Amino acid sequence: MNLVELQGWLDNASFAVLLVTMLVYWVGAAFPRVPLLATAASTGMAIANLGIATLLVARWIEGGYFPLSNLYESLFFIAWGVTAVHFIAENMSRSNLVGVVTAPVAMGITAFAALSLPDTMQVSEPLVPALKSNWLMMHVSVMLLSYAALMVGAVLAIAFLVVTRGQEVELKGSSVGTGAFRDARYRLRKAGVEQTNGQAQTGEPVAAGLVLESASLDSNGNGATAVLTAPTAAVTDKAAPLTPQRLSLADNLDNISYRIIGLGFPLLTIGIIAGAVWANEAWGSYWSWDPKETWALITWLVFAAYLHARMTRGWQGRRPAILAASGFLVVWVCYLGVNLLGKGLHSYGWFF
Amino acid sequence: MTSDPSSSSLSPDTTPAALPFWSGLKLKVQQFLKRELLPLLGDLRLAIALLLAIALFSISGTVIEQGQATAFYQANYPEDPALFGFLTWKLLLWVGLDHVYRTWWFLALLILFGASLTTCTFTRQFPALKAARKWSFYEQPRQFQKLALSAELEQGSLDALVPLLKQKRYKVFQEGDKLYARKGIVGRIGPIFVHAAMLITLVGSIYGAMTGFFAQEMVPSGETFQIQNIFDAGPWAASQIPKDWSVKVNRFWIDYTDEGSIDQFYSDLSVLDQTGKEVDRQTIHVNKPLRHKGVTLYQADWSIAAVRVRFNNSPILELPMSQLNTGSQGRFWGTWLPTKPDLSEGVSLLAKDLQGTLFVYDTQGKLISTLRSGMSAEVNGVNLSIQELVGSTGLQIKADPGIPLVYLGFGLIMAGVVMSYVSHSQIWALQTADQGFWVGGRTNRAQVMFEREMIGILDQLDESNGDRNSQAPEPQK
Repeated sequence: MNLVELQGWLDNASFAVLLVTMLVYWVGAAFPRVPLLATAASTGMAIANLGIATLLVARWIEGGYFPLSNLYESLFFIAWGVTAVHFIAENMSRSNLVGVVTAPVAMGITAFAALSLPDTMQVSEPLVPALKSNWLMMHVSVMLLSYAALMVGAVLAIAFLVVTRGQEVELKGSSVGTGAFRDARYRLRKAGVEQTNGQAQTGEPVAAGLVLESASLDSNGNGATAVLTAPTAAVTDKAAPLTPQRLSLADNLDNISYRIIGLGFPLLTIGIIAGAVWANEAWGSYWSWDPKETWALITWLVFAAYLHARMTRGWQGRRPAILAASGFLVVWVCYLGVNLLGKGLHSYGWFF
Repeated sequence: MTSDPSSSSLSPDTTPAALPFWSGLKLKVQQFLKRELLPLLGDLRLAIALLLAIALFSISGTVIEQGQATAFYQANYPEDPALFGFLTWKLLLWVGLDHVYRTWWFLALLILFGASLTTCTFTRQFPALKAARKWSFYEQPRQFQKLALSAELEQGSLDALVPLLKQKRYKVFQEGDKLYARKGIVGRIGPIFVHAAMLITLVGSIYGAMTGFFAQEMVPSGETFQIQNIFDAGPWAASQIPKDWSVKVNRFWIDYTDEGSIDQFYSDLSVLDQTGKEVDRQTIHVNKPLRHKGVTLYQADWSIAAVRVRFNNSPILELPMSQLNTGSQGRFWGTWLPTKPDLSEGVSLLAKDLQGTLFVYDTQGKLISTLRSGMSAEVNGVNLSIQELVGSTGLQIKADPGIPLVYLGFGLIMAGVVMSYVSHSQIWALQTADQGFWVGGRTNRAQVMFEREMIGILDQLDESNGDRNSQAPEPQK
C-alpha cells in the first residue's frame, strides 16, 4: 500500500473510530456501573490518537516536511492534539466525563477534514517560499497544540457549567489558591473512625455522615437538613477526628478545566512569541497586526482574563467558566474564522 | 464594572487648614494616589476589563479594512444606508477605525494596561510572594481545621511522614514536633516574571517605534542603491538611517520547481562603503535576511525591471518594463517595442514571471509569437532576439534598536508562563502528646492532583502503621 492510499484510509478510519468512541463515552456516562465501557472508550481514543499520528508521519515522509502547511494537515494535527490532551485531562481527573466532551470535538474535526474538505485541499503540496523555515515547525506546532489544549479546557468548562447548572459554586484553584480551605458546611467534624471502619467492612467505603452531608451539598441544603441532623448529632462527640474534605465531581471538572487551560496558555504564549520572532527574522517586523496575529492576541487576552477572573473575589462561581467556554468560540475564530478574511501569510485557503 | 473614577475626587475635609497651599496640594495628591488611584489601578476587575476591552477593540481592526484610502471607506461604508444604522465612513474615520492600532485611544488603553500591570506587581504580587516565602509552623490543632485537606490521625508520626514528603520532592522544614513542607514556590514567582517581562516588552516596542525606521526599495539586478524610500520612521530615527554605506544588487533570481511554481527568491547583495569597496557579500532569500550595522534587509518582493533585446545585428538594447494594471488578476509586466525608426509600427512584449517566457503581440492585440531568452523571431520584417529578462528585487529594510529589549521581554515571558503552571503546595504537620497527630495541606492551582497526593500520603501513613483501613473516604460521585 502506498503512502497516499494509507493516508486516505487512515483519515476515514480515524473518523469512524472517533465516532464510535464518542458514542461509547456517552453510553458509558449513562451507565457508569459498566467498567468495560470506560476501558473500551479509552482504547478507542488511543487507537484514534495513534491512527492520526501514523497519518501525519506518512504525510511527513511523502511531503518531505513537517505536515503543517495546509488546512487538512493542520486539522489532523489539532485532532491529534485534542486526543493527546484528552489523555492528560482524563489521567488528571480520572473521570470518564472528560471523554464525553472531548470525543465529539476530536470527532467533529476529523469529520470536517476527512469528509467536508474537497479532495483538492487534502493533497500534500510543496511549501511556498515564505514557509520554508525551521520556524514553521516551532511556531505552528506549538500554536496548534495550544489550540487543542485550550479547546479541551473550554469544553471541560462547558461540562462544568452543565453539571453545576442552577447551583452556587466555589472555584477550585487559582494562582492565589482559591478553594484550598474547608467549606463552612464541612467545619463540623466528620464521622468517627469507628463508623468508617464499620462501613469499610461491609464493603461500603463511604462514611455515613459524609454521604448525608454531601447529599445536602448537592441539593443546596434544600430538604436535606432534616436528614442531616441525625448523624451530626451522633458524631459531635469529642471522639470524632478531622478527615479530609474531598472534591466533588464539579470541583474536579472545574479544576481540570483550569489546569488544561493553564497548560494551553503557556503554549499559546510561546507559539505567539515564536511567530513574532520568526516574523522579525524573516520578514522585518515582530508584530504587524495581521488578522491572524491579532486574533491570536485576542485569544490570549480572553484566556488571560479567565485566569485573572478566577482569583477575583467578585467573580467567583460560574462566571469564569462562562468566559472559558466562550474562549472555545474565540479559538475557532482564530484558527478558522480568520481564513474567511483570506488575507495575509496565515491563510490556509478556503473553499466557498 | 470598575468603580466610578469620579468618586475619587479629593475630599476637602482631609486638608489641614494650617498647612500652606502647596504642601496641602502635595498631600492631597499623595493621598489621592495612595487611597484612590493605586487601589483602582491595582483592581483585578479593572485588569480584566482592560484585557477584554483591548481584545474587543482589536477585533474591530480585523473586521474593518485597515489603512485604506478615504475613497475606499466612502464606497464601502456609505452614509445611506449606514452599516448597522450608524457606521458611516465619516464616523469610522473620525473614530480612527481605519487605523485602530495607532489611534490615541487604543494606545491609551495599552498605557493604562501597563500602569495596571505595574501596580498589580507591586501591590499584589510582591506581597503574595513575600507571604509565600514567610511561612510558619502550625502550632495548634485548630489551625488544621481551616484546611480542606487535613486529617487527624491516630497512628503515624513525623518520622514516617518526612521520607514520604521527600520522595514527593517536598522541601521539608522541621522543628521539634512541628513540620512544614513545600514545593513549587517557583509557581509564585512565575506571574511576577510574566508581568515584569510584559512591561519590558512594552518599553522595548515603544523605544523601537521611536528610534527605528522601515523602508522599501525595488532595485533592478546590477544596480547600487542607498536607503532612501523610508515609509515609516520614529521621531529619533535619523541616526539609524545609513548614510555611509550602500548596497549593490549583484543579481536577483527566482528558482522554480519542476511544476513551475516558485521555489525561492534570491538576491546576491554586496555592502559597499563610501569608497565603493565591498565590505560584506551575502545571498539572501525569504527567511534569511542580511544584517549590517543594525539595519536588516529582507527579501520581500520582486518585479521585472527590463528586457534586453537585439534587432537584427544591433547592439543589445535594454527596455524598461512596467507592471500592468490587471485588477488583481495576476501580475504582468509589459513594454512596447518599435520596429520602425519613426515608431509607426511596433509590438508589445508581455511577461508574467522571470522564467523567461515573453508573449509578443502586434498592434491589433494578436499574439504573434511566444519567445524565451536566447530565442528569436521574425517580427514586422526584423529579427527580434531576446537576450534576457532583468529582475528587480524588492527589499524590506528596517532598523529597530528596541529589539534586544523586546527579545529579553519575550524570553522572560516564556519562562514566566511556564513557571506559572507549577502549583505551589504546602503541607503542615503537628504531633502532640495529648491531642494526636495532625496533617494538613493546601495548594494554589492543582487542587485535584494535590488532593490525590495528600490522600496518598495519608493512606501511606496509615499503612506504615499496619492499619489497612483508610480514613479517607472515597470522592463523591
